[in-house]
Amino acid sequence: MAILQLSPEEIAALWLSAKVAFFCTWLILIPGVLLGWLLARKRFFGKALLDSLVHLPLVLPPVVPGFLLLLLFGSQGVLGKWLHEVLGISIAFTWMGAVVASAIMALPLMVRSARLAVSQVDHGLELAAQSLGAHPLRVFFTITLPLALPGILTGMVLAFSRSLGEFGATITFVGNIEGETRTLPLAIYTYTQIPGGDVPALRLVVLSLLLAFAALYFSNVMEQRALRRVGSRDDSA
Amino acid sequence: MIALDFSLRREAFSTHIKVTLDDRVTGVFGPSGAGKTTLLGILAGLVKPDAGRLVLDGECLLDTERGINLPLHQRRIGMVFQDSRLFPHLTVSRNLEYGYHLLTREQRRFSPAQIIQLLELGDLLGQRPHQLSGGQRQRVALGRALLSSPRLLLLDEPMASLDVRLKMQILPFMQRVRDEIDIPMLYVSHAIDEVLQLTSCMLVLEHGQVIGYGNFVDVMRDTQVLALARSLGMENVMQVELLSHHPAEGYSVALLGQHRLCIPLSAGEPGERITISTAASNVALARESVVGISIQNQLPGTLGQLRQVDHRMLVDVVIDSHTLVAEVSAKSIQDLALSPGMKVHALMKTQALHVYGQGV
Repeated sequence: MAILQLSPEEIAALWLSAKVAFFCTWLILIPGVLLGWLLARKRFFGKALLDSLVHLPLVLPPVVPGFLLLLLFGSQGVLGKWLHEVLGISIAFTWMGAVVASAIMALPLMVRSARLAVSQVDHGLELAAQSLGAHPLRVFFTITLPLALPGILTGMVLAFSRSLGEFGATITFVGNIEGETRTLPLAIYTYTQIPGGDVPALRLVVLSLLLAFAALYFSNVMEQRALRRVGSRDDSA
Repeated sequence: MIALDFSLRREAFSTHIKVTLDDRVTGVFGPSGAGKTTLLGILAGLVKPDAGRLVLDGECLLDTERGINLPLHQRRIGMVFQDSRLFPHLTVSRNLEYGYHLLTREQRRFSPAQIIQLLELGDLLGQRPHQLSGGQRQRVALGRALLSSPRLLLLDEPMASLDVRLKMQILPFMQRVRDEIDIPMLYVSHAIDEVLQLTSCMLVLEHGQVIGYGNFVDVMRDTQVLALARSLGMENVMQVELLSHHPAEGYSVALLGQHRLCIPLSAGEPGERITISTAASNVALARESVVGISIQNQLPGTLGQLRQVDHRMLVDVVIDSHTLVAEVSAKSIQDLALSPGMKVHALMKTQALHVYGQGV
């Protein structure tokens, strides 16, 4: 059974990954939903540009955003310098930096899900709510958001999973510091680089599989439950 | 009172409507593409006209010259849509109270209990919209709109998606709302009989213009409206006086001038005036009265002008002060040697007569 026993380093990696993914998901929830809503419902100048910009991390090699973050937030970077001088914090090479790196990488998934979810909410319902005297902001919170919730939940789970799996941007931006930035994928990578690391690497691989599967399963259950609440789409006729 | 004057031009469509509506319930009737939806959109604030003014009970809701355009949520104009648009994630009761909760105490004109009783919604309160039938949904939508205490209620084809049986179930509720709720209403439909069940005051639109406004029977005298009615297969619209009912035989008798007319069994008191219609193609002509035939109605009259309308031959038959339009084939014109001034009988089957204004 010793083979299933996690070492303290492995537990630290697992715990760190969960922490980073958790903060990453909440960090991008509001911007992701707002961007999704904006792209689904509004027409404005520069929409195509914003759309491309948000989705860029999906198609770039992750090392590119990682390097850009390093330039921006590094000790000599514009934002990094400012943050250090004004607030006295530095996020490069810290777990907070890992959160920022995975947030950039996971944002497109959140936006895509939110956009799809909002565009599937019947605009007629929003107009009906307005005709009953509700301000558009109230309509957003009482009609659009609750009806888009299943899709937004899916987006959150996707973002969480993406963050758990984030590797390239993280290792470029915040390095591979044990206990600080060595998340699950980084730990697996590290074990594969040392002799006799196969067994712990395999343990963490199995763990990753279980986590990802559990997240997807949870999202499916939540989505089904939310859909049942509004009645399945088929009987709307 | 609604004073409305606007114009709007889009690629393939232009409309200019200027009218002052002062009846409490007005039916808006017109074929599809006539501008009914645009009219509603402008009233509700969904569509901004190129130029125009809208004044509701003295308050200006829209004036493009002065830059006034009250947004939808501030207009307090209630809407009932064809597709009910109930909020699927809320129960019937929460749907009903959605607009009600947004009003101050002074703005509330009805209580939920009052509306629930009026529309008989008591059994539905805990249900979700997807559990309701089409007719129930429309009742809830109607109640929800009323509970927002609107200053004007717009009904946009509220029965168009219901089958005849469901229409008959919801119609009494519409009539109840008309009779018991003091809110001006605009009822839009492409089905004139539906409109007539609720009001005889009618605004007729065609090609984005008002072609008639007023009492239905008066409006129908207008040649433009008549042309529209004809294109919809309602060439003959007549006001008749109910005489008697014969439920066992399944018909009623009405008087057209001094002639007795058998019509499908209808409700209404003897002496009441009702409106009936039939298409010109339902009127046959005979040179003499015909015996041994199932057609009950044979009205003696005089032939008027023959005219050709879009490949159809139409002929007027003057019966006392009424004029019926009959469609005849070129062959029958030859065979019967039809010519103006000739004495004929106009033949109409009982079942070919359509009765309006009755909830039967």
